Amino acid sequence: MSFTHLHVSTAFSAHYGVSWPEELAAAAAADGATALACTDRDGLYGTVKHLKACMAAGLDPVVGVDLAVFDDDGDLRTQVGGRVVVLAHGHNNGAGYRALCRLISDAHARTTGKAGGAVPVAVTRAELASRTLHPETLKPVLTVLVGPDSDVGRAMGGRRYLRPRTLFKRWLDTMPPGTIAAEVVSQLSPPGEPLSTAHAVRMLKLAAEHGVPAVLSNAVRYVAEDGAATADVLDSARTLKSLPELSAAPLLQPNGQGWLKSAALMLQLGKEIMHSAGYGAADLKSLMAQTEALADRCRVDPVTDMGWKQPVVPEASVIGIAGDALVELTQRCEAGISRRFPGIIGKPAEELRSRLDHELRIIDSLGFAAYFLTVAEVSRMILDMGVRAAARGSGASSLVNYLIDVSQVNPLQHDLIFERFLSRDRATLPDIDIDVESAERHNVYRKIFERFGSERVTLMSMQNGYRARGAVRDAGLALGMEEAEIGDIAKQLWRFSARNFREALEEKPELKEFAGRVGQRGFSENQQLDLLVDLTERLDRLPRHISMHPCGVILGDATLLDRTPVQPSGLGLPMSQFDKHDMDPMGMLKLDVLGVRMQSAMAFAVREVIRLHPSKAEVVAAGAHPVGPDGAGPDYIAENGLIDLNAVPLDDEPTYELIRSTHTLGCFQIESPGQRELIGKLAPREFNDLIIDISLFRPGPMKSDMVRPFLEHRHGFAPEAYPHPDLKPVLKETHGVTVFHEQILKTFDVMTGCGLARADEFRRALGHEVLEGKVEEFFRKESRARRFSPAVVDKVWGTLKAFGSFGFCKAHGAAFAVPTYQSAWLKTHHPEAFLAGLWEHDPGMYPKRLLVAEARRLGIPILPLDINRSHAEYRVERVDTGPDRGKLGIRLSLNGIYGLSGTELKRIVAGQPYDSLADLRARSRLSKPSIQRLAQLGAFDSLHRAAGGTANRADLVHHLQTLQSRPQRKGLDVIEGQLSLPLGDVELKNLKAGLPEPTLVDTVRAELDLMAVDVSDHLMASHRPLLDRLGVTTADKLLGLRNGTEVLVAGVRVATQTPPMRGGRRVVFISIDDGTGCVDSVFFHEAQELAGPLLFGTRLLLIRGTTRRTGPRGISISASMAWDLSCTGTLPFPVPASGIPEDREQDPPGPLDGISRNLAITGLGG
Amino acid sequence: MGMFSESVDVACTPAGQPLELDWAGRRYTVCAEPVRWYERRQWWAEEQRAPLGSGPGLVDHEIWRVQVRPADSANTESPLTLDLTRHVGSGRWRLLRIHDALLPVRKPESA
Repeated sequence: MSFTHLHVSTAFSAHYGVSWPEELAAAAAADGATALACTDRDGLYGTVKHLKACMAAGLDPVVGVDLAVFDDDGDLRTQVGGRVVVLAHGHNNGAGYRALCRLISDAHARTTGKAGGAVPVAVTRAELASRTLHPETLKPVLTVLVGPDSDVGRAMGGRRYLRPRTLFKRWLDTMPPGTIAAEVVSQLSPPGEPLSTAHAVRMLKLAAEHGVPAVLSNAVRYVAEDGAATADVLDSARTLKSLPELSAAPLLQPNGQGWLKSAALMLQLGKEIMHSAGYGAADLKSLMAQTEALADRCRVDPVTDMGWKQPVVPEASVIGIAGDALVELTQRCEAGISRRFPGIIGKPAEELRSRLDHELRIIDSLGFAAYFLTVAEVSRMILDMGVRAAARGSGASSLVNYLIDVSQVNPLQHDLIFERFLSRDRATLPDIDIDVESAERHNVYRKIFERFGSERVTLMSMQNGYRARGAVRDAGLALGMEEAEIGDIAKQLWRFSARNFREALEEKPELKEFAGRVGQRGFSENQQLDLLVDLTERLDRLPRHISMHPCGVILGDATLLDRTPVQPSGLGLPMSQFDKHDMDPMGMLKLDVLGVRMQSAMAFAVREVIRLHPSKAEVVAAGAHPVGPDGAGPDYIAENGLIDLNAVPLDDEPTYELIRSTHTLGCFQIESPGQRELIGKLAPREFNDLIIDISLFRPGPMKSDMVRPFLEHRHGFAPEAYPHPDLKPVLKETHGVTVFHEQILKTFDVMTGCGLARADEFRRALGHEVLEGKVEEFFRKESRARRFSPAVVDKVWGTLKAFGSFGFCKAHGAAFAVPTYQSAWLKTHHPEAFLAGLWEHDPGMYPKRLLVAEARRLGIPILPLDINRSHAEYRVERVDTGPDRGKLGIRLSLNGIYGLSGTELKRIVAGQPYDSLADLRARSRLSKPSIQRLAQLGAFDSLHRAAGGTANRADLVHHLQTLQSRPQRKGLDVIEGQLSLPLGDVELKNLKAGLPEPTLVDTVRAELDLMAVDVSDHLMASHRPLLDRLGVTTADKLLGLRNGTEVLVAGVRVATQTPPMRGGRRVVFISIDDGTGCVDSVFFHEAQELAGPLLFGTRLLLIRGTTRRTGPRGISISASMAWDLSCTGTLPFPVPASGIPEDREQDPPGPLDGISRNLAITGLGG
Repeated sequence: MGMFSESVDVACTPAGQPLELDWAGRRYTVCAEPVRWYERRQWWAEEQRAPLGSGPGLVDHEIWRVQVRPADSANTESPLTLDLTRHVGSGRWRLLRIHDALLPVRKPESA
């Protein structure tokens, strides 16, 4: 005998289910079941995983949902009467599954998509009824299980006889015949309680009375008894109440019997219920038979019912084509050839043709032509919006993508292999990712919905699982621990999985203190901490909620919403309940539209350039672009001054010069300390060097020492070596070192003749415990057969095995290198506009103040905040007075001032210009603290100067402070329509002078405090006298020093990194900025011990170390010791010749003293 | 009703249903069909640990309510109603509650 569980919640029932679909399916199959249901709460969150698990375990999947139903008597919008299980009937060409999807979408339609909304996820009974029949045949396609948690079941308590009957009758009256069944559940709870045998008997009798089929279930939440405690903790997390509170309510499950019981136990349970009801064997048989009959009806065929693995793309008519998709695609590629390769002839033309034919043949055989056209359509739509877009990822390997403008990388030029992207052996929809300006991402989403129709588009979701911090918080909540105490513990947990909490307690130094407490407390506290650890481990990885995926958009045809339930996302657009793992199984076309801040920054820069220089001639002059033989300037600049970044040739020498200088702060991908070091060593001369650089700077290559041999060969310090002459063409570009996936593919092909498509399959198998062995066998056999010597075979296999799993796809590198080059090009030619873009969109890894310091280093004037000249964004301005007159400077933005609200900002900008403080107050209605802060930042200095008063900024701030304490006078408002007399600013003019002018240090401190940026001067400048006494070397002088010179350097921390290193010993990289540039220092083990707590906790650092020359233009410091610069007493002042230390006057406080508000000033963490 | 927790020896049917028990030096026979359920425990207060894989018995325990008469008495004596629990790990039985607590009242341990 086998039994089918029809009511099972998986872990994807967030904060409810405990077990993963794979565990449940495996357990059911082991017990001899032939089918298993997945009925997650509120959605199909676990359904696709369930399908996969069932197929793997040889079970027929049953698909349903556990859904709340509104109370017909109560407030229809908020009152839930109970929950029912709705099962889809199978083998009806998806009619059941369609109805289920639509029903679930109905249930979510009224919710807001935001946490804590007032409207619950639920359907009305009428909605439920309307979905249960096939819209055409009117045959039932859904079955509703009315069980213990339904309104009927909930009314079973006490001795009420009539109430459950009335409620049950209502179901019978509303639901079409044949769509309802009674769900009989006994979890053997104490007699008379919910889920007791007595309640099961009542439900059974109710069903019998009305001639409704009854089915037996166990309302499963966990695969085995062990999960019951986890379920308790999840109940606590869901209801935000501690276990003692829930237990007293009582709101906890009555006991721990909601597990996936075996068929034998379920039969036993059935017997007990029958016995208790006074029924006999025939009735038992009928209960079990009805259960199996319903199960049979609900067995789903993944292929015919749910479209398993059948890719669906938008209809041809929607992408704007009339005929065959392949014909259309071919034609567009032809058009692309004349655009991308004008006048190509001879051998290159032949190569181009044969590559194109090859790609189109594969695309045709997979039937993906419409997919490419769809992506091209989205890409074109984005570009038409005037938004920057670039394909990333392996999509850059495709010539077709290049020809239809999806990608900006010519795969022929960079020798990229199509098979790395798509091959006959891999019939899954390929990933094409499109990077867009981050600031425009949501607009792009909306436009896609508009363009394709909301019935064909939905956002993809992602599952957010418990990680250590969240798990420990919720475990602590369940145990009723103090919030502050849990918070303290949670803060210590970082970057390890909750599952290894106990292990981590023993190993991680930052947890030592907590581990000590677990061992040392009194019994009850100790018990609590012990339990805390256990419960935290139980929660590990369990899904908590779904949210909008940061980039996935699902595109389909008009049936998309029949194939996935959707719910509102926080953005207001609908979001699928499926995540990225569900896309391929469900045949869903997913497009990754990523928001990239650098793209926004670059777009901003291009707009600033055209605003400042509104003609081609002006841009050419300003950017020192080549004028060309005819003096007309380059083609990539339009007559109106618009720069087409994608058309800029990739060989601009000044750009490479900038890159080689390692002054690459702000440039995409190459600004980190490690990258600047690598760039310095590698000294890129051409675009391919950038691709290699980006590909090398990955954890894998860095860890496995690929970089050093590569550099030695590149600079000719060591002869290049190839394992075999046949491999020379493959490895030439990287001097014999295997760097790219493409090289691994070609190596396989050269050595075994397997073809590139199979080679990519082999590459994927590398690192796989089972498959790798088979690949090795094949490789050795075939390469020996091709007369490669055993030594060569051994060596090459060693390389493949080692590098195969983490080598980098060259297409990725090439796609990344494009914005890298473009950003460096902008920094070279239009640094003011580029830096303004960086400040505005903050794309990089550093605190913004470092990029401000970079402007200062480049001699770009930083223009202070000004109530009339500053806007809501940074702007490039021509300086009209002072020593910088005529230069381009960057005006600070009003955005990002501490305490200034978005609406205040809008009002200020809308009201500009202002002729007086009174005018500002009247029209912008700024709060007093905001006015005061603006005064502190000098935003009124120009008004003040114009008014001609004698007071200074300190007087003004003082004046505003005293104003604040006085009650506001009425009657200052100007009556609408009446113009105020242009008196100038009497208030500012009459301001009493008295206070001393704020010092530069005070001003910088205010700037750091309120904007996290030091504007008026570099924050290190005021420490200069101290540094001179210490004998500190500045960043700009380091390059002139010999390798191995002992130096002292000092500055404010801008970055801290602890990358994984070869050998496993931690290495800490700390970068400091001293105003003349960045100093990158490295702390090895010994220096870390000496520096101790300074490593991670200090903002201002003094470091002693020796110089390490890293390349012709690169130098860094190998640290031996560090000090906290703000503790002057501890610093190593040189002892004067007299041998007696000088008397030092107390150093004045620096700009950072007394600031605790803004962490974004320095680069801590990591 | 008194609350006890003391060890008793129980003899069961092959299906695991109590038949006879030895308690306080006396043998009792189950005289009516027992009722069985699973009752929740305040495990977070009672247990020191709750690691994954603890198995059954952490969250609830199995309760058998039995009516018994002393084996050596005539059927005239009115039956006692007892709640028994079986420890999952050891399989040992404990007496949890006596509902008709007139007979041998012994030292109560804790409520």
